[in-house]
Amino acid sequence: MRDYIIRRILYMIPTIIAISVIAFTIIRLPPGDYLTTVIAELSASGAAVDSGTIAALRDRYGLGDPSYIQYLKWISRIVLHGDFGLSFEKNVPVNALIWDRLGATFGISILTLLFIWAFAFPIGIFSAVRKYSMGDYVVTFFGFLGLATPNFLLALVLMYVSVRYFGQSVGGLVSPEFIDTAWSWDKAIDLVAHIWLPIVVIGASGMAALIRIMRANLLDELYRPYVVTARAKGMSEFSLLLRYPVRVALNPFLSTVGWMLPTLVSGEIVVSVVLSLPTTGPMLLRALLSQDMYLAGSIILIASLMTVLGTLLSDILLAWVDPRIRYQ
Amino acid sequence: MPDPLLRIEDLRTHFFTPEGVVKSVDGVDLTVTPGRTLAVLGESGCGKSVTARSILKIVDRPGRLVSGRMLWTRPDGSIADLASLPPTGPAIRAIRGREIAMIFQEPMTSLGPITSIGDQISETILLHHPISKAEAKSRTIAMLRRVGIPDPEARIAAYPFQLSGGMRQRAMIALALCCAPRLLIADEPTTALDVTTQANILDLMRALQAEDGMAMLFITHDLGVVAEIADEVAVMYLGRVVEQASVDAIFHAPRHPYTRALLRSIPRPGSRARLEAIRGSIPHPLARPAGCAFAPRCDQAIPGLCDTTPPDAYPTEAGSVRCHLHA
Repeated sequence: MRDYIIRRILYMIPTIIAISVIAFTIIRLPPGDYLTTVIAELSASGAAVDSGTIAALRDRYGLGDPSYIQYLKWISRIVLHGDFGLSFEKNVPVNALIWDRLGATFGISILTLLFIWAFAFPIGIFSAVRKYSMGDYVVTFFGFLGLATPNFLLALVLMYVSVRYFGQSVGGLVSPEFIDTAWSWDKAIDLVAHIWLPIVVIGASGMAALIRIMRANLLDELYRPYVVTARAKGMSEFSLLLRYPVRVALNPFLSTVGWMLPTLVSGEIVVSVVLSLPTTGPMLLRALLSQDMYLAGSIILIASLMTVLGTLLSDILLAWVDPRIRYQ
Repeated sequence: MPDPLLRIEDLRTHFFTPEGVVKSVDGVDLTVTPGRTLAVLGESGCGKSVTARSILKIVDRPGRLVSGRMLWTRPDGSIADLASLPPTGPAIRAIRGREIAMIFQEPMTSLGPITSIGDQISETILLHHPISKAEAKSRTIAMLRRVGIPDPEARIAAYPFQLSGGMRQRAMIALALCCAPRLLIADEPTTALDVTTQANILDLMRALQAEDGMAMLFITHDLGVVAEIADEVAVMYLGRVVEQASVDAIFHAPRHPYTRALLRSIPRPGSRARLEAIRGSIPHPLARPAGCAFAPRCDQAIPGLCDTTPPDAYPTEAGSVRCHLHA
C-alpha cells in the first residue's frame, strides 16, 4: 500500500509539469497580449498611444522576452517563492486575488460532491434492488431530467422560484448586507440559506449520472454467484447487500472524486456567472477575455493541481477498498 | 432404515418467464438419510440445481416454489417444512449455513471478490454462534487447516484472486462446513476443476464427511464422480426423479430406460464398438411431452401408453423407478 501511494505520487510530477506548460501555452495562444488589449482600450477612448510608453510597459511586464524565458520566470517564482505573478488588469499580485475565490470554489465543489454522494448512493441502490418498480421509474425519470437540463437553466428557474414564491434574495453566497462583514452566527445562517442553490444546480446532472452508474454497476453484481453464497450462509438480505455487491459496485463511485472535480469546476463557471458567486469561474472568464495571462494561468494551474490531487485521492481510496487494485 | 434427515415430497419449482412457465422441477421426491451421500444425477437443464436451491429457498426470480413439502429434521428432533418458510425470513436463515450448507460449482465466482476468505468464513461463524471475534478467527484457522490449506494463519487474510482454483474450492468447503452442518449440498463442486484437483477435493469431502457424520446431497452430471462418492443415487430427467436406488443397483441393475441409456453412453477404454448416444435431444422446456417425459427418446416406449399417461413411481428391490415398464 505504501509503495503504491509513493508510486502514484511520483507519477504526479510529470503530469504537473505537463499541465503547467499546457496552461502557460493556452493562455498565450490568442494573438496579441495584455498590451494589445490596453492599446485597443486606450485608442478606443481617444487617448494617443506613443511607442515609448508601449515599450516601457512591455519591458516592465517582461513581455519582450521569448516565451520559454517567460515560462521559466513564472514557474520558478511559483515553485521557489509561491509568487504567482502580477495581475495586469488589477495591478496587484495574483496571490491577493485568488485564494478567497479558490476557497469558495473548492468549498462549493466539495459540498456538491458530498451532496451528490449522499443522494446518489441510496437512490442508486434502491433503483437497482427494486428494478422496474414504480419507485425506480420515478427516480429514473428525474435522473434523466437532471441529466438533460442545462444547469444554467436550472439556476434561472430555481432563482425565479425562490424570489417569486419564497421572497428570498438569491445570487451570491450571502445577502448583500453581509458582504465584507466579519463572520457571525447570522452570516453563517444566511450562507446556508444561499449555498443550497448553487449546490443543487451544479450537482443535479452529476447526481443523475451517478445514480445511473450506481444502478448499472449494482445490477451487474446483484445476480453474481457470490451473492447466492452469502444468502446460503444465512445472512439477511440487507446486510448481504451492503457487505458484498454494494462494496464491489462502489469502485466507480470512488473514481468520481477524480473526474467530478474538474466537471464541477468547469460546470461551475456558467452557473457562477448566472448566480454571481464569488468563485474563480467569473474571475477566470474575465482574465481570459482581457488576456490577463498570469491571473488566468494561475487559476488554471491551481484548478488542474487540485484535479490531480483529487485523482490521487480517489486512487488511494480505490486501493483501500479493493484489494485487487492494491496487490496489482 | 433410519429416519430420514430430509424428505422432499412432490416438490415443484416453476419459472414464470414472459415466454411461459418453465417447470424446472415438477414433482420431485427425494429422501436424504443422515450420514449418507445421495447423488442427484442428470443432464444440464434437468432441474437438479434448482432442486438443490429450492431446499435452501434461494431460487432466483422469476423462479418460485409452487407446491410440495420439504420435511427437515431439526437438531432437536422437531420437523420443519422448509417449503412453508418465507424465503427471506429469520426461520430459514437460521437453518441456512448452520444446519444445511451449500457448495457451489464455480469457486472462481462464488466467493466475494474483495473480502478476505478469513472474513467470509468467520462472518458465517459469528452469524450463527454467540462467540467473540477472536474465537471465530481461531475456529476459521482450524477450519482452513482441516480442508488442507497450507499455512492457514497467513492465508486467512488472502483474497480469492490470490488462490488457485483448487484452493478456492477448499476455502468454499471450509466456508460451508464452518458451522458443522447436518446436510451439505454440493452443486457440481468439482466440475470447474481439473481432474487431479477434482480427485483431491472428492477425497477431502469424503474424509470430512467421515469425521463429521454429515449427510451430503451431491449434484453432478458425472457418472465417475457418482461411483466415487455416492451411497444412493437419484437420476433426474426433465424435472422429475426417474429412478432412485443404491449406487450398486444403479450401476449393475439399472431399471429405467434413461438410466440404462446413460450408462451405455460412457466411453470404455479398449472398446472398438461405436459409442451409443441417447437418440434425439432434450425437449424444449416450454414443450414438455405429455405422458412420460422420456418417451419420445425411449426405444422401449409403448405407443398409446407412454406418450399419454404419466407414470407413477413403482418400488423396486433397491429403491423406486418411474416407468410404465415396471408397473
